[in-house]
Amino acid sequence: MARSSKAIPWLLFAGGGTVTAFILPVMILITGLFALFGVFSGALSYETMQAFVGNWLIKIILFGILFLTLWHAAHRLRVVAHDFGIRADTGVAIVVYGLAAVGTVATVIALLSV
Amino acid sequence: MSRKPYVRQMSKTSWFLTHSRYKHYILHEVTCIFIAIYAVILIFGLFRLGQGPEAWQGWLDGLRSPLGVIFQILAFGFAMIHTWSWFKVVPQAMRIQRGESFVPGNLIIGAHYGVLAIISLFVLILAGVA
Repeated sequence: MARSSKAIPWLLFAGGGTVTAFILPVMILITGLFALFGVFSGALSYETMQAFVGNWLIKIILFGILFLTLWHAAHRLRVVAHDFGIRADTGVAIVVYGLAAVGTVATVIALLSV
Repeated sequence: MSRKPYVRQMSKTSWFLTHSRYKHYILHEVTCIFIAIYAVILIFGLFRLGQGPEAWQGWLDGLRSPLGVIFQILAFGFAMIHTWSWFKVVPQAMRIQRGESFVPGNLIIGAHYGVLAIISLFVLILAGVA
């Protein structure tokens, strides 16, 4: 059987899909309810968030969530592009995975800056 | 030799409207657009957090702007669609055998919703209100 390099994006897609399914609704709920009604304003204050993200375990967890979310979305965007008639798959793959790679590096820089 | 293979005419931008199965498919596929934008907003927020209190406040103000609120309502809806559609296919992806028979799919899906509730509750408690 031919060896395939598809296993890596697929693993990231599946892992990211699982992580986002479990964690994103509650995260959007917190930032969204804050935006709508000012709930959780204490949790999202500068001092609390600075201390929260300053914790190394939280940094690693946030990296894991954002890294997998980016690569999950990138892989699915590649499929969506195909679904809407863009057949230049190699070009699309370079763009979406490239953006996910840039996002991954940006996540590391942002986390280390806190 | 010239053949004229039959090519079914399909609109590139509205083909999914032709069948309810396609509508469901495209509905869970486009969740990734909202998920990607939300991830970018979060990464941007981490940058602002590192830049000091004023920068962080500016990010929070952005969340509370009309555009921020509308986006987050949409993002929450699509995130829930993603969760629902993801859990729905777990029994096909993960077959668990107990003795002679397989664990029923609904039990696996139910367990996923249970874990979702526990994680959500934990994060809400962590954020201070539950």
